[in-house]
Amino acid sequence: MKKIYNYYILLIIAIGLSSCDDNLEINPRQSIDGSLALATEANIQALLIGIYEDSGQSVAFGGDIQITNELLGNSDQVSWFGTFVAPRQFIRKSILVDNSFVGDTWAKNYEVINQANLILDNLDVVTSSGVKNRIEGETKYLRALNYFSLITLWALPYEAGVSNTQPGVPLRLIGYEDYRTPLPASRASVEEIYAQILADLEDAYSNLPSSNDIFASKYAAQALRARVYLQMQNYAAARDAAHDVIENSGAELTETFADAFNNDANSSEDLFAFQVTNQTGDNDLITFYASQDNGGRGGDITLNPEYFALFPDADDERSSFTYIGDFGDDLTAKYTNQFANVVISRLAEMYLIRAEGNIIENTTVGATPVEDINKLRVRANADPVAGPLTQADILLERQLELAFEGFLLQDLKRTQSAVDDLPYDSPRLVLPIPQNEMDTNNLIEQNPGYGS
Amino acid sequence: MKNKLPFYLGFILMLTCSLAFSQTKSVSGTVTDEQGMPLPGVNIAVQGTNSGTQTDFDGNYTLNAEEGSVLVFSYLGFKNQQVTVGTGSSYNVTLQTSADELDEIVVVGYGTQSKRTLTDNIVKLSAEDIDEVPVSNFQSALVGKAAGVQITQNNGKVEGGLNIRVRGATSITAGTQPLYVLDGIPLYNANESSNGAPTNPLLSISPNEIESIEVLKDASSAAIYGARGANGVVIITTKTGKEGKAEFSVNISHGFSEPTNTREWLSGTQYIELFREAAINAVDYGEFADQAEAVDYIEGIFDFLAADTDWRTNPVNTDWQALAFQNGSVSDADFSMSGGTAKTSIFFAGSMNETKGIVRGNALRRFNGRTNISHKFSERFNVGMNLSFSRTDIDRIANDNQFTTPLQAIAQPQLSPAYLEDGSINENTLYANFLLEDKFAYYKTILRRVNGRAFGDYEILDGLKINGNFAYDLFYQTEDNFRGSQTPFQSTNGEAFASSVNAENYIVSGFLSYDKTFGDVHTISAVAGTELNETTRRFESVTANQFPSDDFQTVSGGAQIVAGEGSETANAFYSLFARATYDYAGKYLLKASIRRDGSSRFGANERYGIFPAFSAGWIISEEGFLKDSDVLSYLKLRGSWGKTGNADIGNFPSRYLFESVSYNQKAGISFSQPGNPDLTWETTTQTDIGLEFGFFNGRISGEIDYYHKNTDGLLFDVPLVPSSGALSISSNIGELENKGWEFILNTDNIQAENFQWSTSFNISNNKNEILSLPNDNNDIITGRNIQRVGEPVNSLYVLEFAGVDPANGDGLYYVNSVNPDGSLNKETTNNPNAANRIVAGNPFPEWYGGLTNTFNFLNVDFSFTFQGEFGASIFNDGGRFQSASADYFDNQTLDQYTDRWRQPGDITDVPQARLFGGNGTARSTRYLDRTDFVRLRNATLGYTIPQEAIERYGLSKVRVYVTGVNLLTFTDFDADYDPESTSDAGGVGVSFYSAPPARTFSMGLNVKF
Repeated sequence: MKKIYNYYILLIIAIGLSSCDDNLEINPRQSIDGSLALATEANIQALLIGIYEDSGQSVAFGGDIQITNELLGNSDQVSWFGTFVAPRQFIRKSILVDNSFVGDTWAKNYEVINQANLILDNLDVVTSSGVKNRIEGETKYLRALNYFSLITLWALPYEAGVSNTQPGVPLRLIGYEDYRTPLPASRASVEEIYAQILADLEDAYSNLPSSNDIFASKYAAQALRARVYLQMQNYAAARDAAHDVIENSGAELTETFADAFNNDANSSEDLFAFQVTNQTGDNDLITFYASQDNGGRGGDITLNPEYFALFPDADDERSSFTYIGDFGDDLTAKYTNQFANVVISRLAEMYLIRAEGNIIENTTVGATPVEDINKLRVRANADPVAGPLTQADILLERQLELAFEGFLLQDLKRTQSAVDDLPYDSPRLVLPIPQNEMDTNNLIEQNPGYGS
Repeated sequence: MKNKLPFYLGFILMLTCSLAFSQTKSVSGTVTDEQGMPLPGVNIAVQGTNSGTQTDFDGNYTLNAEEGSVLVFSYLGFKNQQVTVGTGSSYNVTLQTSADELDEIVVVGYGTQSKRTLTDNIVKLSAEDIDEVPVSNFQSALVGKAAGVQITQNNGKVEGGLNIRVRGATSITAGTQPLYVLDGIPLYNANESSNGAPTNPLLSISPNEIESIEVLKDASSAAIYGARGANGVVIITTKTGKEGKAEFSVNISHGFSEPTNTREWLSGTQYIELFREAAINAVDYGEFADQAEAVDYIEGIFDFLAADTDWRTNPVNTDWQALAFQNGSVSDADFSMSGGTAKTSIFFAGSMNETKGIVRGNALRRFNGRTNISHKFSERFNVGMNLSFSRTDIDRIANDNQFTTPLQAIAQPQLSPAYLEDGSINENTLYANFLLEDKFAYYKTILRRVNGRAFGDYEILDGLKINGNFAYDLFYQTEDNFRGSQTPFQSTNGEAFASSVNAENYIVSGFLSYDKTFGDVHTISAVAGTELNETTRRFESVTANQFPSDDFQTVSGGAQIVAGEGSETANAFYSLFARATYDYAGKYLLKASIRRDGSSRFGANERYGIFPAFSAGWIISEEGFLKDSDVLSYLKLRGSWGKTGNADIGNFPSRYLFESVSYNQKAGISFSQPGNPDLTWETTTQTDIGLEFGFFNGRISGEIDYYHKNTDGLLFDVPLVPSSGALSISSNIGELENKGWEFILNTDNIQAENFQWSTSFNISNNKNEILSLPNDNNDIITGRNIQRVGEPVNSLYVLEFAGVDPANGDGLYYVNSVNPDGSLNKETTNNPNAANRIVAGNPFPEWYGGLTNTFNFLNVDFSFTFQGEFGASIFNDGGRFQSASADYFDNQTLDQYTDRWRQPGDITDVPQARLFGGNGTARSTRYLDRTDFVRLRNATLGYTIPQEAIERYGLSKVRVYVTGVNLLTFTDFDADYDPESTSDAGGVGVSFYSAPPARTFSMGLNVKF
């Protein structure tokens, strides 16, 4: 009896005195602490990989940004048959403030921007030579890309020759780590956002190597800069940037038009693409454009006769680059491989920009507009044009070449063309500041036409 | 004399051993119940001494007692009886069943106490309250039976998650579910479902193992569980063997089930008429150039929807709703064996349950086994072990927000055939045809659970006991999902997903308990101890696609492994606790407890919390001025105050974290969570004042309680400004309160020899209000729920529908902007963007209760329970598709056809049908309704075959019964299927293609021998 008694007493003492407090020291196994994440060169590099991943998600450049642009910019060339409410609101140009695409894309763009800011704020821990510049360049490229998405969707268009004081989006350039106090911000002007995008792309251009595997290179930055200048109707600068890419990037048009799409690895024409594999990356363009056999929902976005009518030449392979979806509709064949990369910039866009710049500026930098356009047309087996060409010809050619890649809305806005009977600067072509931003940010101002 | 009763009760139950005494004369006799059946295991104590004994299995006892001493006979479920030893030596005693249940023993944390001297608010439910109710989880059997405890299952899926709120929701983002403690083991109760719809992890517990369930509601009772007590504590005690002849009990039942409600949808013909009209109406809104184009367009749609059937003359009228539901069934078989000797008690139980749900493809099979054994090595040393295992195998369906879930089939127009003429499933439906998923895919979840506890206690000195426990709870779940090549949205030649979760929970505890009475009037009971609880969780999953054919259905059959995950997490609690109760003369009761909890879940700065509680009681009826009252037999006033915590917020919410990600097979990290080193638990401070009464010797008894719970340091995922790069941060900001009344009344209406009728009624009122919020009390809006100061938690926040403009059929909304004078602008608009949302409803009931009647007439027993809830609302988020004035091609509820606006002057609340018009379809009060309901929750009718007829077969009891659940529902709720059915895919008080609960009828047989 005495023994048992002792045993129990010992047990209790053991339980009571053994330092159980140590058992409370448990750390997460799948995550690391933020202080560690920003403290080493390896982790800063990893964080850069992370913002590629974030930017490439469905809600951002994995498809939703392109689809938002496409549906907002289209009137009768495509129809939306999907059941999702958010895209339906886009094609109807009647958007509610709680639109899920609006909220998700906005949040993701800014999530990338903040992490990009954190990388830039902590660049000093990167000490290997050359690496620091490359990280800075890639980071600034991604920050510029995300700001460009924000400014083109959430603000009234940039207009050349005037002061663009209309509200843009919040300009955030310092990385936040401590969220215990609120971090509201008002909207910077459209002018300020564009200035920041150009400054980032300038730095990216000067810091990045000419080729950089699947990551952003000097010419990815230059290609985006050409697009930004074009949007600002600075045609000379757009032309020169595009020219630089054509001449120096080493990229070449793919042999056929079809080769430019559905590629598991970047094609010779790709200047920058978000990478998708069967294990990582998102391709939401497939979801909405493709048949079920191709991994989509059967064809939520279908092509109408008005689209086919754009093509003056029936032999143009681009007009027949389609197939019949599950519900008997015509679907684009640009998105048929669900694990294909999502291309952000390809060389064809550069030829179109250079041609348009040359027309407006009445120059022939690099080549004549007719030569540039025919390069694309001949590849697609379309009849070459003789010229002379007008800006309207280029805009049409942009539709023929770049359809469903997310360009139409911004082309219409920068050329002050009507969209589905709405003037180019209609508030209905501008997304609402998302409901949750309105609910939390007391300094922000809603876009016209949207309730609180 | 009576004042010593509590002491003896406590003492005797604590120490059910016989202590031999060398005193005076031997006394013996037989103890029987009112029917003359001998009662084994009755405790007999000699008052004022340490001596006592128990009856043997024939109800006989023998002990030594002095002449003039008092014998106290006590037995669970019976009234105590006292006999004064006179000159005789034989005393036969008949015990009467306890009517007022005051002498019931209530399980409190780390001990037991008599209901009479309890200063806490604890509701106790016994095995009779829960067995025979044909539901797949034990919690649902409690509905309507416990005051202050509201129990709702998400919806009608058999494995569906449950929401149990003890005295209202005390949290917004942290868990609101109570802590479950099974035989002293805090159970792992995390939802581990991977398909988006929560499962109930406690499905694995079989009701037939349960002896009693105590719900600790006030702070005084729950504070002993410290940082995990704020949502209340549910203590489950399993059955143990009773000394005496072994009893074998078998129960078999079988039943069938159907939905409590179905809804009316448009037939094919009505659909054609409505949508043709809607397309024509859309011409005026620019949708079509002219009427001809509109008709042409809509007929093209009809052609598509109807596949190759002739919709013009003979639409197919597929009843998609009927396809989504099925006839459910429930089969139960269980047995138990209970027995023991003076030294050893044994209980075995086994059970099987097979439930086929009311939704197509949903079913559950479960088996359980349990052994509880304890043995007295000596009069002072007792050891034992409880061990149980179970396996629950569930056929799952997708969550409510998936196209492939059966209930979303109600969106398909009846024009569309479900099957083609050749019998194959129609693949060309408006939305993915769920029958493809039903046929070519499966989702199987298997829960396995092993739960064991070894324990021992040793009495060091008289009254001082040391208790040790080691317990282990293993929750092991696998999920296997295979989607064949023909399932909707499947493009990779099949996909298989397999996961396993392995959660282990260890508890080591040791405590000293001391029970002693001094000078006959001072009774002290004290407990002090320590507990370490560590939970580890390991998760693995793998996804494969590209299968050679649908015949290969496991991961190995896939040519490509496309996703994999392996993760581990853990948490630990280390606690010290102490409690003391003091009882003076059975009149004045005091109690104090304290617990210090440390947890790995909180930042190092805020790692420890202290949770004190105090309570006091005064049994007024023991005072001289009331003692002889014939009317008032019992009156107790009690009050308590204490603090409890809520630590149910995930394992690492305070950390600033980056997670690993992969981009093109390259490893990266990505920001996942902002840190908050100051994060700690929520603290609930609760005050409770209660009055317990009994009249006419307990024939009428009841309780009235008022409570006030204030929860401070509310854990919040405070929404951050999205443009700052993070969406939310966990913070201890905010305060809310719950206050309310509980009223319980139990009456023995008739107590005749052949007819007994008793009634038990409870009603509770809870008022929930948010007192403060982060960011200067800014509203926090998540989906359709708002957190706003002055409103209940998770209030429903939508636009206010203003009906239909009689002039043009537009759906209207109240503008509800705030006027300069603070009032709301009640002008109307047809533009939802010009209108403002309002707090339109509370997702939780303000009043809820139950009424149970039990009748026994000769050999017939009949009982029924009504349940009622009042003051809650449900917003049907599917309404904007289901009742949307033909906005899109979804089939519409019948009212969209019958009540629609057609011409100027029509007064209706269904706007003009307008294809693609979004006419009145914004989320508004149009789709919100009050859920007030009264439901016949359960009724059971039984017949016990007379003893004489079965005795010769060696049987002691044979009873047949019929029972049912959710038999009748009285409600005006019509926004969706059922007032208790909400979405399992997110949102509080929101339904979305959510299945109603099952109405079940079952027949059963009990046999005991």
